Amino acid sequence: MKPRWAVFLLLIAAIVVLALLPMLVNNYWLRIATGALMWAGLACSWNMLGGYAGYINFGHSAFFGLGAYVTALLMGDRLAWPFFATLPAGIVVTALFAIIIGAPTLRLRGAYFAIATWAFAEVLIQFASVMDFTGGIGGIGLPPFLDERFFYFAMFGAAALTYLITWALFERSRFGLKVKALRDHEPAAEAIGINTSLVKLQTFVLSAVTASVFGAIFAYWVTFINPKSVFGGDITDQMVVMVLLGGLGSLWGPALGGVALFVVNRIIWMYWGDTAFYIAILGAAIVLVVLFLPNGIAGMFSRRVAKSGAVLDKAVGNLVGGGPGRPS
Amino acid sequence: MSAAEGKTAGTGEPILVVRELHCHFGGIKAVNGVSLDVGRREIAGLIGPNGSGKSTLFNLISGTVTPDRGQIRFDGHEIGGRKAHAIARLGLARTFQIPAMFDNMSVTENLLAAAAEGHWQGARERAADTLALLKLEHVADNRASDLSGGQQKLLEFGRVVMRQASLILLDEVTAGVHPNIRKIIVEAIARLRERGTTVLVIEHDMEMVRNVCDRIIVMDAGRVVATGPFNNIVRNSEVMQTYLGRPQ
Ligand SMILES: Nc1ncnc2c1ncn2[C@@H]1O[C@H](COP(=O)(O)OP(=O)(O)OP(=O)(O)O)[C@@H](O)[C@H]1O
Ligand SMILES: [Mg+2]
Repeated sequence: MKPRWAVFLLLIAAIVVLALLPMLVNNYWLRIATGALMWAGLACSWNMLGGYAGYINFGHSAFFGLGAYVTALLMGDRLAWPFFATLPAGIVVTALFAIIIGAPTLRLRGAYFAIATWAFAEVLIQFASVMDFTGGIGGIGLPPFLDERFFYFAMFGAAALTYLITWALFERSRFGLKVKALRDHEPAAEAIGINTSLVKLQTFVLSAVTASVFGAIFAYWVTFINPKSVFGGDITDQMVVMVLLGGLGSLWGPALGGVALFVVNRIIWMYWGDTAFYIAILGAAIVLVVLFLPNGIAGMFSRRVAKSGAVLDKAVGNLVGGGPGRPS
Repeated sequence: MSAAEGKTAGTGEPILVVRELHCHFGGIKAVNGVSLDVGRREIAGLIGPNGSGKSTLFNLISGTVTPDRGQIRFDGHEIGGRKAHAIARLGLARTFQIPAMFDNMSVTENLLAAAAEGHWQGARERAADTLALLKLEHVADNRASDLSGGQQKLLEFGRVVMRQASLILLDEVTAGVHPNIRKIIVEAIARLRERGTTVLVIEHDMEMVRNVCDRIIVMDAGRVVATGPFNNIVRNSEVMQTYLGRPQ
């Protein structure tokens, strides 16, 4: 019972600190905190499918970018929607695309899905780069709104909601049991009545929609987006590394990994004024995590003894086929 | 489902009817024209040499593998070629020969997952009962992948118990299990039958087959080559020698 209480108190303390943060720090640090919350939320959204269901999404930036572009287009001069009205629109658009991509590919092995999502993000970059209505390569501006506190609390709210939903759905409900069961052994999950294709699709849609909400807030926050800044592959790369570092398939791992890597990113930027070095760190982090910390930071605190990299084994096995989850 | 039950239960139609079932892997005809019936509340034993197609037959019946052709009727439903989860929801449960654990979930979660689609009401209590029945209480919170081989077999059986199915297929569920625990499984099977469950078991252990099964189905090279009560099969020394490799 004791560790539970400790976790609960820690959580309350974190929420209080986060809620009071705008009164404690200046705008510079508030922006960093806003970014950290966004990455913690994005990593969590990637982890829904990648960690809990074991399906690796190499094009998650597509959904972040869809949310960003839908909000940017709807808030533009011609339509001038209020920000909050654009969120449901972004969610619907994202969900539709996730179904179109996921329904045919999630029935197959993970590699097909990984390639499809990666290709989808590439297609969207090209599409947004050549179309007039998206502003082409030059990108698209949004009505400036310079209230840092608003964006801090928007990201905070979205991240809190993302973690709350993840906890309730994946850690505390029947749905989570189904998702984890299909990750660990798909034929056995089917044999106990789980419609694995449907559950994977539901998880994918939830994961995509969550990323789109962060994209929408991000677009409004930075007031200017272009195809690379919201669809770019480096956005997905960061989410993947954050989750691997923090702990694939764990609730708090993505938050730890997201905050840690984003802070490293900012420190590098402060000292070198350039984030090229950061990319090298990302690459090194992937190698080191896979070799030495296959259960991530969260795995070091887990109460259960875990064979090293067991969740990672499932996801990778699913990706390359013939993995431990598919004996027959 | 209750309508289907009402319709078929009275007619005495076997709960499982398989006709001319075929399945091949490359050049191997793993199941080559199997026809068999399993009656309601029967405990039928499926025996045969290694590679004779027993596990493949289970995969076909449960929808894990799609048949090339042939019919499978389960509880009044044509299920040949249907998705495994749809067949499971009609009341069919199975174990896998190689234990199919949800490795990163706890033992309790493995049991609960089996109730996630279907009889969720009271699932926690039933999971606790099942753990007690199979003497797995002390590892209830362990990861399934950390169980011993025998414990994994037990957990696999426990998931089937949780399904509350009308037909269960057990693929060598007692292989490698300690005699004491084997007794527990045998008793649990008997209790399932009392509740009206039909059981089809694959077994290599003749002692177990003799004690548990009402009827034996012998397979060889993808075909059913003999069927009947244990004593008749054993008396047929030709069958015993050819298909089981040892005279009795
Ligand atoms: N997924 C598969 N891919 C290719 N071949 C397979 C597959 N499953 C089964 N086979 C082949 O089908 C044949 C029948 O195998 P099956 O597992 O059904 O035998 P079995 O009667 O269960 O044997 P055992 O008593 O050893 O478990 C074997 O030759 C096997 O190699
Ligand atoms: Mg077999």
